[in-house]
Amino acid sequence: MQIPTSTLGLAGATALLCACAGNGDGLNSQGEPGTPGSTPTQLTADFQSIQDNVFTPICTRCHEGASAPEGLQLDAAHSYALLVGVPSSEVPTLTRVKPGDPDDSYIILKLEGASGIVGQQMPYGGPYLPSSTIDVIRSWIASGAPQSSPAAAAAAFAVVATSPADAAVLPAAPRTLVVAFNREVDQSLLNSGSVMLERDTAEGPLTVPVAIGAAPGNPSTVLLSPLQTLGVGSYRLRVRGTGPAPIADLSAQGLGIDTTAQFRVAGEP
Amino acid sequence: MRAVLRCFAPALLLALSLPALAEPYLAVANGYKCGQCHVNPTGGGERTVFGEIFAQTALPAQHLDTGADLWTGQLNRFIALGGDLRYDLEAQQVPKTRTTNQFSLEQARVYLSASVIPDRLLVYVDEQVAPGGALNREAWAMYWSAGHTWYVKGGQMYLPFGLRLEDQSAFVKQVTGINMTTPDDAVEVGWEKGPIDLQLAVGNGTAGGSPSSNGKQESLQLQYVASRFRIGTAANFNGSSAQGSRDAFGVFGGLRTGPIAWLAEADIVNDHGLPSGPGGGSRKLATLVEANWSPARGHNLKVTYEYLDPDREVANDQQTRWSFVYEFTPIQFVQLRFGARLNDGIPQLPAEHLKLYFVQLHGFF
Repeated sequence: MQIPTSTLGLAGATALLCACAGNGDGLNSQGEPGTPGSTPTQLTADFQSIQDNVFTPICTRCHEGASAPEGLQLDAAHSYALLVGVPSSEVPTLTRVKPGDPDDSYIILKLEGASGIVGQQMPYGGPYLPSSTIDVIRSWIASGAPQSSPAAAAAAFAVVATSPADAAVLPAAPRTLVVAFNREVDQSLLNSGSVMLERDTAEGPLTVPVAIGAAPGNPSTVLLSPLQTLGVGSYRLRVRGTGPAPIADLSAQGLGIDTTAQFRVAGEP
Repeated sequence: MRAVLRCFAPALLLALSLPALAEPYLAVANGYKCGQCHVNPTGGGERTVFGEIFAQTALPAQHLDTGADLWTGQLNRFIALGGDLRYDLEAQQVPKTRTTNQFSLEQARVYLSASVIPDRLLVYVDEQVAPGGALNREAWAMYWSAGHTWYVKGGQMYLPFGLRLEDQSAFVKQVTGINMTTPDDAVEVGWEKGPIDLQLAVGNGTAGGSPSSNGKQESLQLQYVASRFRIGTAANFNGSSAQGSRDAFGVFGGLRTGPIAWLAEADIVNDHGLPSGPGGGSRKLATLVEANWSPARGHNLKVTYEYLDPDREVANDQQTRWSFVYEFTPIQFVQLRFGARLNDGIPQLPAEHLKLYFVQLHGFF
């Protein structure tokens, strides 16, 4: 069979265009800009180590940014809030990370390719994590899946996410509202004066009664369950950082400002 | 058998006159649009009657004739059925890690469609039934105009963006986040006129997750398809996440030179709002060049080179991947694939040096 010259030309041009992999100069042991030549960090059973050795270098190839599969962003800024105590979207009866119970944590089932998962074993296409690495993640979950992030500890206490998000329009009334903080909240300060749900009416804001509590196993996340069905209308989720009953973390650091998320329920539940 | 052959004679004759096989490279090799072989105009999933005949006559090295009618997927005038199964034996080598090998069912899928108004209104479901629990991949309804020049599709679907490759682990598929593992609830409008295809889709942008805001994802794709080459461009904006947005731009194309069908794609992905990278974002570049050589009917050698720059603001962090896959289709509906995928990356991360070897049994109908 005769190969046309155009084919040979294209093959040659392609070969010339083929760039090589990076040599890693100037990157730290996690492949990020940092101290060159730093010694690899040993994987240990704490969240920061798992983030640095597993989630950031391996999982974020796909699970990053607005188009992350299943909405699960595993970069350092979002992974903890979206993993711990959060139901899996593939199998909603299972929690992605159930503190204290690795066998019932969906992340472990997905990493092991266990029966009962939906879709493929992770990381997609491999290499699959060695059992020693999965065992470390198991240990972290078994110990309660604490956050223990130095960065979070150093940062100012803040709300990192709400659900519904600000400006959201919901097709149906939510049964649970979520406020995620960057570290553990002083639960003694959780009350109807510090976290509240208001409904906009012609007469002004009307407080909607809610049950308030920390998410099971994730004390940096607060759940609000409306005690009445939310009808069609406009609502405001308000977290007090000022005034007589402000929210604070365990070291009494407050938010400093009120945080609000306005959302609208467009349809009945 | 004769009745079926008479019925589909034009398609059969066309298929038999063609040199080769399936996937985007088959479209390039034969000058087809995706909708020639798939009920979905953007490709993938259930095959049309033409696609089924093509798969039985032009694709395999030998057509095993048992005297039975050809499978067309048509259970009756209105209902059609299809499926796809991939079963692997694969070995993975990663430096400093014990080599693993395993049998695994990569996927078993069932396609079902109902032409509730023949040629005009199609209802379609793509269900992954294994591994694990059942997982709905696509479920949509599509309305075609009378002349098939435009359509409206609504439901859960894969968004149009670039080449619809079989390998969902390709860099261009992973980095954009738009692939056949991340369907979206969306509405798509398509326009097809001569060699030009245009699609615009608007969806939730949550890639299977629950909506958390009223932001949306928009995807726009324009493609020019000629008999020997095609070229296209795509843009995607995803503002669905309260934590940040993403935009992606791609160019892609195909070219046939003698017995070789070439595919190429280059995508730029910008994430806004991520803490990594200067300015609180990251900019990625992923490319793919693939050559498919079909020396004889039923045989295809696929060589693919991929390049990934995971953050264009960071030097020396690039990754590459070479794939060598030989596909042998001995008889209709059965394909054996033998492949090696050789990754290369920075020395600090052993996982970027994965060497994957696989043998795959691929059944489809």
